[in-house]
Amino acid sequence: MDEMLLDVQELTHCFRLGRNRVLRAVDGVSFQMRKGEIFGLVGESGSGKSTTAKCVMNILRPTGGKIRYLGVNICDPKQFRAHRELLQTSRQMIFQDSTSSLNPRMTVAEIISEPMSIHHIRPPRGSLRAEAAFQLKCVGMDPGYLDKRPPELSGGQRQRVAIARALSMGPELLVADEPIASLDVSIQAQIINLFKHLQREHGFTFLFIAHDLAVVRYLCDRVGVMFQGKLVELAPAAELFARPLHPYTQALLSAIPIPDPRRERARVIQRFDPAGFSREGVWTEASPGHLVLRKEKDT
Amino acid sequence: MRQKSPFLYCGKKLLSFLLSVFLLSVAVFYAARLAPGDPLVSYYGDRAEKMTSQERAWAEARLGLDQPIYVQYARWLENAARGDFGISYKYKMDVAEVIAARLPNTLILGGISFVLIFTGALVLGALCVWNEGKWLDRFICKVGTVVSCIPEFWLSLVLILVFAVLLRWLPSSGAYTIGGGGVADRAAHLALPLAVAVAGHLWYYAYMIRNKLLEEVRADYVLLAKSKGLGSRAVLLRHCLRGVMPTYLSLMAISVPHILGGTYIIETVFSYPGIGTLSYESARYQDYNLLMLLCLLSGGLVIFCNILAQMINERIDPRMRSEEPPEVSDRE
Amino acid sequence: MNDQFILVGARTPLPPPAKKEPWYRGKPVVSMAILAAVALGCLCCELFIPKDPAYMDLFHGSEAPNAEFWFGTDTMGRDIFSMIWYGGRVSLLIGFLSTAISTVLAILFGAASGLAPRWLDALLMRLTEIFLSIPSLLLIVLLQSILGKASVVSLSLVIGVTGWTSVAKVVRSEVRQLRSSEYVLASRCMGAGFFHILRRHLAPNFFSSILFMVVMNVRSAIAAESTLSFIGLGLPLEVISWGSMLSLSEKALLSGAWWIILIPGAFLVVTLLCVTEIGNWLRGEGDRRASNL
Repeated sequence: MDEMLLDVQELTHCFRLGRNRVLRAVDGVSFQMRKGEIFGLVGESGSGKSTTAKCVMNILRPTGGKIRYLGVNICDPKQFRAHRELLQTSRQMIFQDSTSSLNPRMTVAEIISEPMSIHHIRPPRGSLRAEAAFQLKCVGMDPGYLDKRPPELSGGQRQRVAIARALSMGPELLVADEPIASLDVSIQAQIINLFKHLQREHGFTFLFIAHDLAVVRYLCDRVGVMFQGKLVELAPAAELFARPLHPYTQALLSAIPIPDPRRERARVIQRFDPAGFSREGVWTEASPGHLVLRKEKDT
Repeated sequence: MRQKSPFLYCGKKLLSFLLSVFLLSVAVFYAARLAPGDPLVSYYGDRAEKMTSQERAWAEARLGLDQPIYVQYARWLENAARGDFGISYKYKMDVAEVIAARLPNTLILGGISFVLIFTGALVLGALCVWNEGKWLDRFICKVGTVVSCIPEFWLSLVLILVFAVLLRWLPSSGAYTIGGGGVADRAAHLALPLAVAVAGHLWYYAYMIRNKLLEEVRADYVLLAKSKGLGSRAVLLRHCLRGVMPTYLSLMAISVPHILGGTYIIETVFSYPGIGTLSYESARYQDYNLLMLLCLLSGGLVIFCNILAQMINERIDPRMRSEEPPEVSDRE
Repeated sequence: MNDQFILVGARTPLPPPAKKEPWYRGKPVVSMAILAAVALGCLCCELFIPKDPAYMDLFHGSEAPNAEFWFGTDTMGRDIFSMIWYGGRVSLLIGFLSTAISTVLAILFGAASGLAPRWLDALLMRLTEIFLSIPSLLLIVLLQSILGKASVVSLSLVIGVTGWTSVAKVVRSEVRQLRSSEYVLASRCMGAGFFHILRRHLAPNFFSSILFMVVMNVRSAIAAESTLSFIGLGLPLEVISWGSMLSLSEKALLSGAWWIILIPGAFLVVTLLCVTEIGNWLRGEGDRRASNL
């Protein structure tokens, strides 16, 4: 259980905006993921969550820092090429918008079996179609959908197809970039439960990106909070929700509505002033496994 | 999008024009010399084949053909910068003079057909839209489809057959009767080539304008204008036509190479002494200097028109900036 | 692409039960039939042509159509009826071959340019423009002289090489739109190579928009073959095609032998017309909204 799968160190990614303006979308982010855990990454939009995920998936090339996956430094083109097959089969990604992440002209069967046909893998269940049917059943859909195309499916069904595609390779690491953000609330719950169920069954390591704290609390083992490209707090989920240390985390948590009218009325929303956020800080361990970005004078 | 100063903008366009022309000249220079064939034949005629190797070497040195290609190119460029494009191997004259003698013929043919095509296209397009779906619209479209399928050379042949051979109304070739002929003679010689040039292109542009106008009359402002009490004819003529003007202008700019290319074929069929027949000859007989200047002239014109069309489009629609002109440029 | 998705919850009203339309409604049936007949006739011409198309019967030069020579003979005494079917093969073959060449070139170039980084894309497009600015006639003369004596293959190559740019432009702009879509990204993530993405994701999407242009390219290629052969840059007289048959017309003009010009030309034009009709049909329906005028 304790084996390290992913080790992100001082990851930095800058976008160039025009001639001499640079946006530091991700700024010195470090975290580790152990095999089989569900790691949540939360933060407001524009805080660099998706950029981090894209760097982990080699879609973007980090400006600085290191990402080690199973001991392979995936930011190094030479090492990446040497382990291309492994990296591309054992890491899979689920995108936010299933409308655009599934080709509207392909059938569900083709979509699910695409990774296998790319890597010319002999399907363990005989044919690619049988394999697709099996994966579809795993995500709770009837094989009757095999010949449908994405435009004929509902949002939740499309996301299930995307999940089935990602799982068809039996991935070691699954990265989901806000997979539920574009869904209805009731469907969100179904998909979250599906994730939980699938993770228990397959035991993959899961990097889950969301801006919904309640979901993260329900699903994740450990949670990282990002703000303006910085990882400001990292702790086991229960610990984080019980004792938030960073003012931004506290503000975020205070914004979660409480499904109890009396307590909800008493809830005080804490304000967090971005102007008071200092990018310089020291990464300190407040208690075992609970790290927080602190200003230097506090230490 | 930041606003750039118009001066800088034009400068940039000019630079891109010069660069394109330069690359074009390099490409043509190399392509012409890599092509097999003996330029000495065009200079000395049949004599070239009987030359001894010594004579050949001397002749090649005289024409500067013995050096590596890039040296030849550098020398050509140096001379060209001074306005000296060399002599034509075939005509033993300054290339600029050879071209100057032929250019007016092509300009007359191309220019008149250009004007006729674009006035005709606008009239036909508007006529089609005015009668949308009625028999006149369908008739014009059908005739257009049929005529646009007829290769220009065959249309020329049929016209020659009918008007020159059978009826003997019009001359079949040349630009004027040798040793005389006034305006009427010229016009008679021009009639058939002009008819073919116009028929070959008119329908395509009429069709483009019709389609653009059809989009235009479905815009909401037409309803607004009509609700203000304007008649349909006034809306079409005053508002919708103005709406398609930008497309019309960029079509005009883009059409230049097509119409030019068309006149080349027509000139060949009618033995019309213009640039087309000249470039055909120069390419066949390895008349390098002539070929170079012709390519630069027509290529430069085409590049210029493309940039012009791009500028028109950018003016109309800022989204086009740094993109290529719209797909109207693609002739089928 | 998103417009294909139906709004959740919004039921589209069922269309009223329409009268069953005959299958041929709106399809260019006549054009298809004629084209099929011409193509079939050319392919199986050995079965029914009365004469050897290449045989020069010196006693029957330039004969007007009669019982023996249905379409007359050309200035060299060859039977035009036989030549038309026999030469149609070459013309159609060149049409398809050069379209295949230009389409492959266009798709590869367009997709590469569309997927390339911005600067490379700009460079490639500039090169295309320069390429376009060389008058095609000159280009053809140059290419022909480099390739040597014209044959069916070399002529197809020349026509194909000069005719790919417009399709390439469309492919490029479509690919540029598609490349940022997440399914291409997802596919790349899964390790798909250029050709896999091209085949599975890009080609099906731009196929419909270039289909019309490709069909029109067949037309232009057949027309180009005849034009080139006519002005003496294409196939030589011995290789019978519609174009090389027409290259005799200048002599025929002097003698007023109209059949040498009109009959092969009519076949050519009818074929081109049928291809155009089919292309127009493929371009799809026009705007169905009513005019505001």
